[in-house]
Amino acid sequence: MSVHTDTLLDVEDLHVYFRTDTGENVRAVDGVSFQVQPGKTTAIVGESGSGKTVTSEAITQLFPSPPGYIPEGSVTLDGQDLTEISDDEMRSVRGGKISHIFQNPQGALNPVYTVGWQIREAVMLHQDVSKTEANERAVELMTQVGIPEASTRLDDYPHEFSGGQKQRVIIAMALACEPDLLIADEPTTALDVTIQAQILNLLKELQEERDMAMLFITHDLGVVAEVADRVVVMYAGKVMERGPVMDVFQTPAHPYTRALLECLPGEGGLGGIPGQLPEPTDPPDGCRFADRCPHAVEMCTEGGQPDLYDVRNTEAHTASCVHFAPTMDPGVVLDGSERVATDGRGRTSTDAGQPSDDEEAEHR
Amino acid sequence: MKWYIAKRLVWSVFAALIILTIGFVLMDVVPDQGLQQVEFQAQTEGQSGDQAVQAYEERRGLDEPLIDRYTSFVTGFVQGDWGWSYEYQQPVTEVITDTLPYSMMYGVPSIIISTIIGMAIGLYSAVNQYTKTDYAATFFSFFGVSIPNWWFGIILLVIFGSFLGWVDLDFSHRVAETADGDLTWLGTADSSHPAFIGENFEGERQIGILSPTNLKQLILPTFVSMTAGIAAMMRYARAEALEYVDAEFVKTAKSKGVSNWRIVVRHILRPAAVPLSTILVGRFLGLFLTGSYLIEVVFGIPGLGLASYEAIINQDQNLVLVTLLVPTFLVLVSNLAQDIAYVVLDPRISYGDRT
Repeated sequence: MSVHTDTLLDVEDLHVYFRTDTGENVRAVDGVSFQVQPGKTTAIVGESGSGKTVTSEAITQLFPSPPGYIPEGSVTLDGQDLTEISDDEMRSVRGGKISHIFQNPQGALNPVYTVGWQIREAVMLHQDVSKTEANERAVELMTQVGIPEASTRLDDYPHEFSGGQKQRVIIAMALACEPDLLIADEPTTALDVTIQAQILNLLKELQEERDMAMLFITHDLGVVAEVADRVVVMYAGKVMERGPVMDVFQTPAHPYTRALLECLPGEGGLGGIPGQLPEPTDPPDGCRFADRCPHAVEMCTEGGQPDLYDVRNTEAHTASCVHFAPTMDPGVVLDGSERVATDGRGRTSTDAGQPSDDEEAEHR
Repeated sequence: MKWYIAKRLVWSVFAALIILTIGFVLMDVVPDQGLQQVEFQAQTEGQSGDQAVQAYEERRGLDEPLIDRYTSFVTGFVQGDWGWSYEYQQPVTEVITDTLPYSMMYGVPSIIISTIIGMAIGLYSAVNQYTKTDYAATFFSFFGVSIPNWWFGIILLVIFGSFLGWVDLDFSHRVAETADGDLTWLGTADSSHPAFIGENFEGERQIGILSPTNLKQLILPTFVSMTAGIAAMMRYARAEALEYVDAEFVKTAKSKGVSNWRIVVRHILRPAAVPLSTILVGRFLGLFLTGSYLIEVVFGIPGLGLASYEAIINQDQNLVLVTLLVPTFLVLVSNLAQDIAYVVLDPRISYGDRT
């Protein structure tokens, strides 16, 4: 896809491999493309091991290198390819234009420095200000993220803050230099449910105030529905489906997305998706999900991952499934159990009941 | 905090007393060679062995009961009167002040240099874990730890002293002193200076601790004690730093745009410095009172280690007890100092209040 004028971040055919001791490549991210629009939120969804975190860390190259490397693909921010810039230039992007929030606030702050010191460091790395000014800025940021009596808490150490407050401090630190893009990697996963909602609301407020774009990594579809404008569904290092959040939730196209939605509590099955992720060093031919897919046909296990085909002719909503190829009938996936094709693995009869649940979900 | 320190100090005194008692009793139980020698000598000269023994015991105060000698030693020790060294024929305190500088001459530079180099290599290794340089550093450190200091010292003396003739085999403690026998940093002396006996030259030569001649004879002992020091420090630094190399807060720092150098120094070394400081304090204090026995014996350096070694061989009771007791007490106090350093360096630790 070409770079649109309204695209802030354009990730194109990104690959991230990790070389193992035996010389094999673990293909954590294996050709992923998506965009983030200025001021909007894109969410990457997938189960553990799908490569969503590595994708997010590849944007500013935070993954350990070696063994990790980017064999192909581009990450374009404002027309600048981040995979080709120097280390110095990358450092000014990190924290300056792109900030990160990580999953576990307990470990993300250095235990031997005060929170004031750590926020100040973020400010002073990118702005030519004095220590006093940086301190004022830190108080201002801490107040904005909702830490009461910020000026008195500046000299407190991280262990003197609760988990939710720590995450607020980390958010303050990430916002220190007014980034264009905030990458939030499961920012609420390690927090308890009441705090989760607060942090999500805070992020949404701050995003609106600053007109900041957000890349939101999560495995929680409930969170996606709340924060995202667009969704990218990842599985085994590949994009399975992507599109506007309403389209994806109303018409989940890829069988994997449908299976994920079914796993939500209250959607019928709590049984999870049978089977497991394919071997990351030697992925199978065809669709990565074919082995676990109730709709898999013979052509699903041939060639590479299917192209991203338009779902119901809307350009923004695409799915990487052969059933959506122009010559195929998407109804096989979308319309229920009767016409489920089988590849002769004997799944048809046992799985026949499930797609009807999909149908319910779809019409809700 | 004050209460905590006071409590720890009382315990330190108590522990030191136990060690002193054990040492005192052991020294008393071991047959006294000096005594046997006096008895043997008197008998060969046809005199009464018993009388000679009695005279010897009276001279050294050994005729009193053990408990009296014990209490008088302890009271004397507390009052700063550490007794008389029969081996050196001077007060024990003087033996210590005379010999300590020689231990420090090679010990202090060795500890400082090995700490800096060891930490630097250890950090580099940790940041570049499992690379060729890491393996090379690991190999070197195992070499340094495994090789016995005394053996390495002898080999170096053989190579650089005997074969190459670059250094003197004898350690001359006179070089660091003025003609009157006082230590001096740097000065000059003519050929009448005791260090130059047997040498004839015109004009004056440099003497003193920092004089080239003295520094030259310190190179090998410093180097030998450094090998083990660097190796040990490197392993500690590497292990400690590795705990933080993959820490989440290091990733946070990286995502803030912190440079690699600053990440290593500020975000990895700083938290690792807490446990590393422990090792450092202990190493310095250990040196101050015992020096390094084997290095001083091999190189003939008249430091504390050699003095303590001679005292044990010759059963110079007071000197043995002091060289046993003072390091013991210092180790106890240094443990306390470490715990206090922990509080200062690591904000998460607190013993009651921080003030």
